[in-house]
Amino acid sequence: MNQVILLVTAVSRAVGVIAALMIVLAVAITCQMIFLRYFLNESTVWQTEVVIYLMIGATLLGLPYVQTLKGHVNVDLLPIMLPPKARKMLLVTALAAGAAVLSVMTYYGGEIAHLAFTRNWTSDTVTAVPLWIPYISMPLGFGLFTLQLIADMLELIATPADKIIVEVGGH
Amino acid sequence: MDPLILGLIVAVATIVILFSGVAVASGLLIVSAIFLVIFDGLRSLELMPEVLFGKLDNFALLSIPMFILMGASIASTRAGADLYEALHRWLTKVPGGLVISNLGACGLFAAMSGSSPATCAAIGKMGIPEMRKRNYPDEVATGSIAAGGTLGILIPPSVTMIVYGVATETSIGRLFLAGVIPGLLLVGLFMAWSIYSTWKSGSGDALQAQVYTWREKFEVLPRVVPFLLVIVGVLYALYGGVATPSETAAVGALLCLLLAVVIYRMTNLGQLWTMLRDSTKESVMILFIIGAAGVFSYMLSSLFITQAIAEWIGTLDVNRWVLMLYVNIFLLVAGFFLPPVAVILMAAPVLMPIILGAGFDPYWFAVVLTINMEIGLISPPVGLNLYVINGIAPEIPLKTILKGSLPYVGCMVVAILILCIFPGLATWLPDTLMGTAVK
Repeated sequence: MNQVILLVTAVSRAVGVIAALMIVLAVAITCQMIFLRYFLNESTVWQTEVVIYLMIGATLLGLPYVQTLKGHVNVDLLPIMLPPKARKMLLVTALAAGAAVLSVMTYYGGEIAHLAFTRNWTSDTVTAVPLWIPYISMPLGFGLFTLQLIADMLELIATPADKIIVEVGGH
Repeated sequence: MDPLILGLIVAVATIVILFSGVAVASGLLIVSAIFLVIFDGLRSLELMPEVLFGKLDNFALLSIPMFILMGASIASTRAGADLYEALHRWLTKVPGGLVISNLGACGLFAAMSGSSPATCAAIGKMGIPEMRKRNYPDEVATGSIAAGGTLGILIPPSVTMIVYGVATETSIGRLFLAGVIPGLLLVGLFMAWSIYSTWKSGSGDALQAQVYTWREKFEVLPRVVPFLLVIVGVLYALYGGVATPSETAAVGALLCLLLAVVIYRMTNLGQLWTMLRDSTKESVMILFIIGAAGVFSYMLSSLFITQAIAEWIGTLDVNRWVLMLYVNIFLLVAGFFLPPVAVILMAAPVLMPIILGAGFDPYWFAVVLTINMEIGLISPPVGLNLYVINGIAPEIPLKTILKGSLPYVGCMVVAILILCIFPGLATWLPDTLMGTAVK
């Protein structure tokens, strides 16, 4: 079991690095676009669309990594006030509920990506980006996020109730 | 079911679920999924990822990761310490110069980094020990920094304002300008209180001037001025009509990154990665809440809750200022528990029709809302800045920090009252520079 948790976390980290690089790439492309437009007076075609997709991709693929960093803000007032056993139960339930709704997002996100691929959907711009490329970030990001939530939940279940630390000031 | 009663049930369910400790964005998705399944059937779930994706498919949102990256690259350098040192050396001749330079440094650093905790940490690390050494009361030393740190979400470029702009479809450039004068007003009120309470506590000698030579004054400038120039450049590009907020933010991010590498020699890959990781974490967290809030507001309007509330408010026969008082109380309470971005995204679809219907200016309201959120940052139970200060000055009890920050909450309430009496303080600058808003 421990190895599965470690594997999921390692994949989340790797995908997180990709997400971070996508943001850097988006910065670079935006700067290139501005340079072309304002200094060389050239028109730009694909940049705006691509940087938006990069940002969405970075966000969705970054979800599991941010979960490993405990970076998704929450209101931890009630968990802090509860006695250890009740706190553990509440936190496990919260993770399970999160995993449940994200598996729904994964499934239907995958359905859209699949439809876009089989029906050759493209964006209605000059660039006509095949939409399965940005859409695939939904099943991938949501799916890994679901796995990471489950891994965190399993780890929490294995931790004795009085050893669970909730950090104060979660945001 | 009557959509209004349904709205009430949704509100209670949201509060219960968010208080369970689930992440805010996941919580919003859970509430949305539950109510969509109950009232629109299982098939309605298939639209959720599409709505989330559609919400994020917006060029204006790109300014969020860009400004965060820009702020993170500044925050990861010694820029905060240098800025503090510079203002300290230049302003010490003014009576109460130390606390004034601290608050000034907070305001400037908050504007550059856009992060409230980063400002508290960067300026507080230098400022708090210095103020204590010079005999300032602990309450003033900690309270002024905690309050000063909150200015980042009001003074441009502010991520909170961008989120408001996206949520309410208002101009981000105009929102930035609306925050400038109220931001200065707050700095002024904070300074006035700090000096008064230091004087009143009998440590008036702390307010005496300290002398630096011109050489000492000038030698700190080369490390500070470039960052300030980038900020001025960013704002110029925004208002000179050169580029959109997202484009400006990208250039600002690139320049600040270069400055961090060139001036502060941040060439260590580990350091660069830490900065990139922290800014990715922040961006992903905020953008996920934006997407999830999009699903939440889709659920509200597909169950006709948004429309019903707007209609209900229309039939209410209350004074608009009484209405504003209720809205403020609501925002204040929400801000005590939730981060500013989450409050804005959840409240905007419901509050906007109310605000516009009652004839309030959306830009003025953005400022009032933001000051409410600032209060939440220095108030218990989750006032983040209090814990940051507690972390960097562990020898001062949390109780003293709390007591010290309360009068600054008072300053913020006074600022809201002043803004209610003189709404022009928020609307004059954008109206003058960008022409009157089309409403």
